[in-house]
Amino acid sequence: MTPPGGPSSLAVADRNIPGGEILRLEGIVKRFPGVVALDGIRLDLRTGEVHAVCGENGAGKSTLMKIVSGQYLPDEGTIRYRGEPVQFASTAEAQAAGIAIIHQELNLVPHLSVAENLYLAREPKRGPFVDTRKLNADAVRCLSRIGLDVAPTTLVGTLSIAQQQMVEIAKALSFDAQVLIMDEPTSSLTESETVHLFRIIQELRANGVAILYISHRLDEMAQIVDRVTILRDGRHISTDDYASLTVNDIVARMVGRSLDDAFPVRQSIPTDDVLLSVREVRREGVFGPVSFDLRKGEILGFAGLMGAGRTEVARGIFGADRLDGGSIELHGRAVTIRSPREAIQHGIAYLSEDRKQEGLALGMSVAANITLANVAAISSRAGFLRFEEEAAVAGRYVQELAIRTPSVDQIVRNLSGGNQQKVVIGKWLYRGSKILFFDEPTRGIDVGAKFAIYGLMDRLAADGVGVVLISSELPELLGMTDRIAVFHEGRITAVLETKQTNQEEIMHFASGRTHA
Amino acid sequence: MLRGARMLEITSDRSRTSERSARQRRRDLIQKFAALGSLVALIIVFSVTSSAFFSVGNMMTVSLQVTSIAYLGVAATCVIITGGIDLSVGSVLALAGVSAALLAKAGVPVPAAMLCGVLVGAACGYVNGICVTRMGLPPFIATLGMMLVARGLALQITGARPVSGLSNAFGALGNGALFRISHIGPDGFPDTAFPGIPYPVVIMVVLFVAGAILLSKTSLGRHIYAVGSNAEAARLSGVDVRGVTLFTYVLSGALAGVTGCVLMSRLVTGQPNEGVMYELDAIASAVIGGTSLMGGVGTISGTAIGAFVIGVLRNGLNMNGVSSFIQQIIIGVVILGTVWIDQLRSGKR
Repeated sequence: MTPPGGPSSLAVADRNIPGGEILRLEGIVKRFPGVVALDGIRLDLRTGEVHAVCGENGAGKSTLMKIVSGQYLPDEGTIRYRGEPVQFASTAEAQAAGIAIIHQELNLVPHLSVAENLYLAREPKRGPFVDTRKLNADAVRCLSRIGLDVAPTTLVGTLSIAQQQMVEIAKALSFDAQVLIMDEPTSSLTESETVHLFRIIQELRANGVAILYISHRLDEMAQIVDRVTILRDGRHISTDDYASLTVNDIVARMVGRSLDDAFPVRQSIPTDDVLLSVREVRREGVFGPVSFDLRKGEILGFAGLMGAGRTEVARGIFGADRLDGGSIELHGRAVTIRSPREAIQHGIAYLSEDRKQEGLALGMSVAANITLANVAAISSRAGFLRFEEEAAVAGRYVQELAIRTPSVDQIVRNLSGGNQQKVVIGKWLYRGSKILFFDEPTRGIDVGAKFAIYGLMDRLAADGVGVVLISSELPELLGMTDRIAVFHEGRITAVLETKQTNQEEIMHFASGRTHA
Repeated sequence: MLRGARMLEITSDRSRTSERSARQRRRDLIQKFAALGSLVALIIVFSVTSSAFFSVGNMMTVSLQVTSIAYLGVAATCVIITGGIDLSVGSVLALAGVSAALLAKAGVPVPAAMLCGVLVGAACGYVNGICVTRMGLPPFIATLGMMLVARGLALQITGARPVSGLSNAFGALGNGALFRISHIGPDGFPDTAFPGIPYPVVIMVVLFVAGAILLSKTSLGRHIYAVGSNAEAARLSGVDVRGVTLFTYVLSGALAGVTGCVLMSRLVTGQPNEGVMYELDAIASAVIGGTSLMGGVGTISGTAIGAFVIGVLRNGLNMNGVSSFIQQIIIGVVILGTVWIDQLRSGKR
């Protein structure tokens, strides 16, 4: 009665042969009122492959992921999972079927332990009580699968972001996930953490897990990605083996034009006038002593690995965190800066790397955010707001920065990431800042908006502003700056002339060696 | 080709955001009409069930009854928009009121005594603000402490006895009225042709208007919303977050002081037990009016509607002979219902 081959071989064909198709999407259409987010998308995913999905912001990547993971139902098209047509009504259903998603913003409870997070809402029970011993034992087994060496009783909030991500992966695997969707998994990881993550991805792939991988970091995909699907404006552009493409090919297909110049030709010429002179500033246990000069019309890069103290130095100078020593001179005059308020009065601005938490009042309008650092300028002497003036100011920056918003009264939360970043920049432009710290200004922003922001930085420098660009992307630093200060463990190990250096030299100093 | 692609992206982006904002506007309207609509509905229902309800006299009574909730509601709105809460106002109003009464009894002119009462309230608010902004206490805890301290002080300085035997002048604020037309009739009793607008109602209107202007039209108001919307972003934008937060607590304390003086004046007695649980009415009126306890969202017009919803409910239910126990149940359900609608509006559910 047993069919030829037997049930066991069927199961193998179903799950474990590398390259077997596990998920196929055909003609997926998703409409939102007034817009077609996905227009006839197709995608096939094989077991044991890492399949990248690339596209600019708004190309439809997240909508597609939400359809695969069960958050949205498609309006048209079919999804076949393991050969069967499926319709997932919820993420729980998709998860039960073996499709798990790891979001950019991690979904863990910081005040619960690793084990409690892994088995949240499905804790092993003994009678009415949680069986803590079994819970922790299960967790240890689960964590060892991905080689994460933390005690199951550790509170998740005390783990690094990378470790938390590992916990998320372990959790997905504990559901026996066959398809793992990863949304920008490396955006907040250090280099060594990224390496570790990639090793785990390789192992998962070897075990036959299919991984759908979304990232803006095209260059690092070379290490793990097998195939690339490119979307643009909700349409499927191409699916190819990664090896057959160059990064430039991918970018060109994403934006629909060739992108020979990722950076604008610099118009600004640095002067010899020292705007800001920082001497021996330090913060106990965090950074220092650090000294550098910023000149008028110059773009100075801060390079270094994550955690090298670049952001911390900028925040210290800006008065956001206290300094334990050192001196700061502006235009040759010594100043004391005790708060961001004082820094701003001195003409210093800081664009945070975390614009949602530290840059924007998300629930307020575009206009209110643009004028937030300079409310006095749109108020009468008695403190009454002049709304026409505010609307005019905001309108000017919306136009100048090409912020895509239906009106200046739009709530900032509703804008895309790149446009939100432009609102933050507008805020500091309106304040008339003379010294600007840009902390990872292009993180998570699409290529077009990046180019606009680079152009803006150049224009600012040409107007005599001193710009500090903190970035983890070396091409960005090499393409945009005049000089680069390289940080390692809270100190500057070298200040390099951009024209006379290269990635290798910067990495050399960033890893702590002092002689080239 | 290049231009075509970018244009396409622009239009799709724009239609998506405008569609989102349209949805938001619709939700805002639902919220506004939910509060206002329920107020109108209440008035219609009570007008039908009780003939005496819809009259100038009763409307004036309702207004007068609403005044304390309204004063405290204005203050609560400002505090809650910054993301804080003030649980101490009920006790602070008692302390401020009895302080004014004791001073007046000691011979201090009534206006000066009442001013001192307001200052006592402001001082309590200042202490709250310092606890929150400098000592880093959660607002709930800081003002819970002040709630006990102020009540204890009020009872201690009065020996837990009402301060009575006050002059008529002390009662003028609470019982007088603007534009009251009366003359002494032939029988020697005053003959009132027009009852006038009671001073407490006048103060309420002034506070509504001043509060609305403060929040929506001044730079300070803008900063209050910014602090509640994202305190860290506001700080990094140079907003004096501590100063703004401190201001709202001082304002809250001062308005509690005003409430205390007006209430005690109406009674012509200093009552150390007055105002118990008033803070909850104040918070309820703000919340019914759409102020979000998460901060960053709220209007004085909403709070005014909220205060009147509570006032009309109490008055109308009283006139229909509904017991005070049932009243509590109904008001509780109304609060739950309106906050649920607020959740619908913010799209959390």
